[in-house]
Amino acid sequence: MKTFRLLTASLTTFSAMVAGGAFAFVVALTFVVSVFRDVEISAWNVVASQIGPWFLLFMGVYAIHTMLPIAVAHGRTRREFLVAASGFSVVLALVMTAVEWLGFLAEGGIYSLMDWRADEHSTQLTYLLMYLVWIAVGMLCAAAFDRFGAGGTFVLPVALALVVVTRVQVPGSGNLPFIDGIPDVHGPEWHVLLAVSFVAALAGTWAIARDMPIRTRT
Amino acid sequence: MRVDVQGLTVRYGDVTAIDDMSFSLSGNKIYGLLGRNGSGKTSLMSALAGYRRPSGSVQLDGLPVFENAAATRQVCLVRHTADAADKGDKVSHVLAYGAAWRDTWDNDYALELAELFKIGLKTKVGELSLGQRSALGVVIGLASRSPLTMLDESHLGMDTPTRYAFYDALLHDFMENPRTIIISTHLIEELASLLEEVLIIDGGRLVLQEEADVLRSRGTEVTGNASDVDDFTLGLTVLSEKSLGRTKAAMVYGTLDDEQLVRARRLGLELGPIALQDLFVHLTDTVGGKR
Amino acid sequence: MFDDRSPIYRQIADRIKADVVSGALKADEQVMSTNQYASYYRINPATAAKAFQQLVDEQVLYKKRGIGMFVSAQARDMLRAQGRETFFGEVVDPMVAEALAIGIPLADVIRRIEQHENNGGV
Repeated sequence: MKTFRLLTASLTTFSAMVAGGAFAFVVALTFVVSVFRDVEISAWNVVASQIGPWFLLFMGVYAIHTMLPIAVAHGRTRREFLVAASGFSVVLALVMTAVEWLGFLAEGGIYSLMDWRADEHSTQLTYLLMYLVWIAVGMLCAAAFDRFGAGGTFVLPVALALVVVTRVQVPGSGNLPFIDGIPDVHGPEWHVLLAVSFVAALAGTWAIARDMPIRTRT
Repeated sequence: MRVDVQGLTVRYGDVTAIDDMSFSLSGNKIYGLLGRNGSGKTSLMSALAGYRRPSGSVQLDGLPVFENAAATRQVCLVRHTADAADKGDKVSHVLAYGAAWRDTWDNDYALELAELFKIGLKTKVGELSLGQRSALGVVIGLASRSPLTMLDESHLGMDTPTRYAFYDALLHDFMENPRTIIISTHLIEELASLLEEVLIIDGGRLVLQEEADVLRSRGTEVTGNASDVDDFTLGLTVLSEKSLGRTKAAMVYGTLDDEQLVRARRLGLELGPIALQDLFVHLTDTVGGKR
Repeated sequence: MFDDRSPIYRQIADRIKADVVSGALKADEQVMSTNQYASYYRINPATAAKAFQQLVDEQVLYKKRGIGMFVSAQARDMLRAQGRETFFGEVVDPMVAEALAIGIPLADVIRRIEQHENNGGV
């Protein structure tokens, strides 16, 4: 519980602050852009759908690569840490989804005030599931590379497959090269698929990090 | 805290760092873990701290250490501070981890030590000098007050006054809070008087485990006429020999009995003590010395 | 501080004995605690304790439970008697050997000693 509290309190606060900063930045940017041309897309959706997932991937990497050895060095077991990290991934995804929702709310107000047009964005559930998968995939990659070194490369195709699936139905998440439109999962099945991806990435992290040696670093 | 190691082996791919090692430490002493570079000191300590799954058994007070919270709570190993901190973290942040995660942590003492070693709390770990980073490791190790505290080459990069401050702090804290402390080092001469027991390892194997004071009386340098020295040392464990003209000096390992002392006197041989450091050099010298 | 050659506890014990013989430590005077010795000389407290134990065994010190270690009443006389036993073997004989080796006639040595006696033993 201690591990969970420390991990969640510090990193979630940090993430929310970064997201807040990003919001202020894109709003300012939108005003700048509006001077030169008409605003036609939601700037916040670029953050929420494209930059956000990468940030959360990084948080997942940070949790395993940096925090796990620190926790073990201070007498926590890997199992305790992984329980905490799993809980942390859910809390972080929830908080970031809330921030994303607030962002769209505020942005919607500003857009209607300025009479700008925004494109479509996705549902809260979709963002939540997407974030969950990206955090877990970050943890999975960190665990694989920390444990197997260069041999951890094997995890990359798996990670790619897991994150690609999250993008299929998120408008504005960027066009995926080569695989555009191929997956034919829509509606609720797709959400189930996301949830399964999250669980798979988390399970993979556990399997790899469960008895991982803590190596010396320079 | 008692430490029992049974048949411990640590391998990295093809390299065997610890080779079927067994020993017990009765605990509440300052132990010196002495070994040359690459002898397996860090690997051994890592296994004792549960940093890696042991092949063989490592038990602390009878509990297997690996992934066993009841045991790992009692252990603190400081290899490099990078284990217990991120280079981007501020020192105050690093100490906060200790305070949050360790039940036995003494934060006032941690702050006191940080001041003693002149480590700025707002400095980032990556910006500390090597000596300061080592000192931060000492702060973490001592303030953890762990029943098993291990310091791996903690003197690295410290200047002489800092090293003496470290030795004084270590000794003082050990007397205030007796516990099992294991220190690995090359600086045997400096640290020797602080140690109660010594473990010498070489090539992943335990060469000897002995009380420091006993070990100190184990080695004898026999000097005199070459043929007399040869006669005298016949059948004894000779660690090394050197001659100058007709004079020869031999380092003998093992306690000499009264009969041998009398015989040495009769042969006109001079018997002198050997420093712990020299003894260590010869016990771990696989290149030229005889075993 | 210590030569790291002979056991440290023996060096400490010798130092305390020397203090008793010289009178720096008087009969029934309390000696410093194990921990004070350990801090002062920067040695392991168990080593200091071993030195004290040796001195207790040799009846130079005695233990008052819960208070500390004290110099025993007969310690000085005892150590002086022991010193007298070994004095000629350990001090005079090597001195004579050295004098002969470097060519000082023993008569000169004796004259020097007599001078000391005439000056009141210094």
